[in-house]
Amino acid sequence: MKGVDSQLLQFTPWEGNHTRRHAAAVAILRISLLLIVRQRLFWALLALAALAFFFFFYAQYLLVWISQHLAQETIRIAGFPVSVSNLLRFLDRLALNGSAHTYGNFIWFQGYIIVILLAFSGSQLFGNDIVYGSMLFYYSKPISLWHYFYGKCCTIALLLLMTTFIPAIILWIEAGLLFDWKTYYMQNYHLLLGITGYSTLIALTLSLLTAATALLFRRTTPLVLAWMGLFVLLRLISNWLTLATQDASWRLLDLWNNLYLCGLWCFGVDHATIRPVPQPSYDAACLVIVGIIILCLMYINFYLKYLYK
Amino acid sequence: MYNSALYKDEPLLQFIDVSKWFGPILALSQITWTFKSGIVGLVGANGAGKSTFLRLAAGLLRPTLGEVKIAGHDAWDWRSRRLIGYCPSTDAFFHDLSGQQFVLVMARLCGMTRREARKSTEAILQRLGLHDLATRPIYGYSKGMRQRIKLAQALVHHPPLLILDEPLAGIDPLGRHELIGLFRQLNQEGHSLIISSHELETLEQLTDQILILSRGRLAAAGTIAEIRHQLSEYPITIRITVSSPRELARQLIDWPEVSAIEWPASSQHTSCNTLLVRVHRPREFFQRLTQFLAQNTSWDITCFESIDESAHALLGYILGGSGKT
Repeated sequence: MKGVDSQLLQFTPWEGNHTRRHAAAVAILRISLLLIVRQRLFWALLALAALAFFFFFYAQYLLVWISQHLAQETIRIAGFPVSVSNLLRFLDRLALNGSAHTYGNFIWFQGYIIVILLAFSGSQLFGNDIVYGSMLFYYSKPISLWHYFYGKCCTIALLLLMTTFIPAIILWIEAGLLFDWKTYYMQNYHLLLGITGYSTLIALTLSLLTAATALLFRRTTPLVLAWMGLFVLLRLISNWLTLATQDASWRLLDLWNNLYLCGLWCFGVDHATIRPVPQPSYDAACLVIVGIIILCLMYINFYLKYLYK
Repeated sequence: MYNSALYKDEPLLQFIDVSKWFGPILALSQITWTFKSGIVGLVGANGAGKSTFLRLAAGLLRPTLGEVKIAGHDAWDWRSRRLIGYCPSTDAFFHDLSGQQFVLVMARLCGMTRREARKSTEAILQRLGLHDLATRPIYGYSKGMRQRIKLAQALVHHPPLLILDEPLAGIDPLGRHELIGLFRQLNQEGHSLIISSHELETLEQLTDQILILSRGRLAAAGTIAEIRHQLSEYPITIRITVSSPRELARQLIDWPEVSAIEWPASSQHTSCNTLLVRVHRPREFFQRLTQFLAQNTSWDITCFESIDESAHALLGYILGGSGKT
């Protein structure tokens, strides 16, 4: 074996400027996105999300066009004459008119796809790293586990923003172009803030929830079942209990409904106009969401504390 | 920030009375060891605590008791990991990524800028002979190529200390030979390596410094000769070829250090003048033999060698088994 000193003299370590550790989160986000976009299921889910978006996009356009050009006409449906104005009154229930409910409903509908997307991404991004031990590759680098989670959660948040925030913004721009754009944009800029607030809340809550549940269940199948339980079973149960007791508090069991309420609060929607009734108060829904965020953070912190100690 | 000047005066790795418990299980017990440079082979049976030892060294685990220091700093501190390249035994990769993408991300995690990471990735892939295959997805890689990619991610930030957990597992003899050559070369360039392996013979080719773990305890550390020297009671077998073997056997059999004398079956390596002497207190035996031969110069000894001074035999003795791990 060679002498120690001569070896050290030959060795030239890398002594470049280290970037900030937060930059590592960007690298993790990048690799995570690469892992997700290479899955066919992701593109299938994205196509479904795009389908919902195009429904809103063209329906909004069609309704405005009909109301402007055919409002006084009468059309025949199944041989029966129907006044277009009556038809429009019926279609108004869909709220495809560039109002706060348009964006609220759009994000609500995206929820069905988001649930599957997150169950799938959770197992891909967190579960596989833990189950197969690839987390060691990340953690052997000079970053903390919090940076790892930060990068992964940012990936999920980005996926959520891709399916909620960006299409909702396009709908808002479209709505302005369908009406008098100057008046619409000036009068409805708060909707833009509402979209941002609602999307951010969804991204924050669901990315943490995805991380926490993925750490708990790890594999895809139990994770999908857990998410279905959270978002489908609890919704059904809360609906039945609310209808049976007429007590709005039972709706607090429905996580997606709580997010919807918080979102509508961001839009500044009058609570009385929210359907279906009865609905719990904005405060109660916000409290549940804050509670879930805190619980998720506590669980992640607990997990990180004991993972490699 | 660490720089080379800081760690030149400090031992690269220090275990100070380290114990590690996993719940009720004692994985490592009171390990004290200092590593300055070179290559050291870590051996031990399954469950001896090799991976725990390496993970503690890499700052991936925190000791329950004691301290692990990298260049004088707590190994648990994230900055210490800048001095370490860790190559885990796990073969879990991001299979859909290409080797280049994987190493590039790992370089970015080490704090390199995009440009530096790209440059360093290309250099290390070239170095490890993966440059042509780097754009292919990892799922198409052979076992040897995967080991090289793992090595590339450990080397990409030029760490002074490489911690390699079973880097030779599952590699064919040709690939193993190439990797051993690479480890030697890395050592010659100034990298220090800790390599765990079940392949004792392979480790022997690479280094004579070994660290033997047994049931969570540091059973022995040092060169094979040093360890042997420490174990004065370690029995060895000596092959002696002499002109009058029966006469010599008659002399030696009375010595208290000699436990048996055998006549080996004749083969191309032995002649009818060869005898095997089993010695249970080698140090004393050699002292006595030296005096004996000095007093009786008529012995025409043509061959004198210890036939089980290998790490394998040593490990077998220390672990109380055959030496197979």
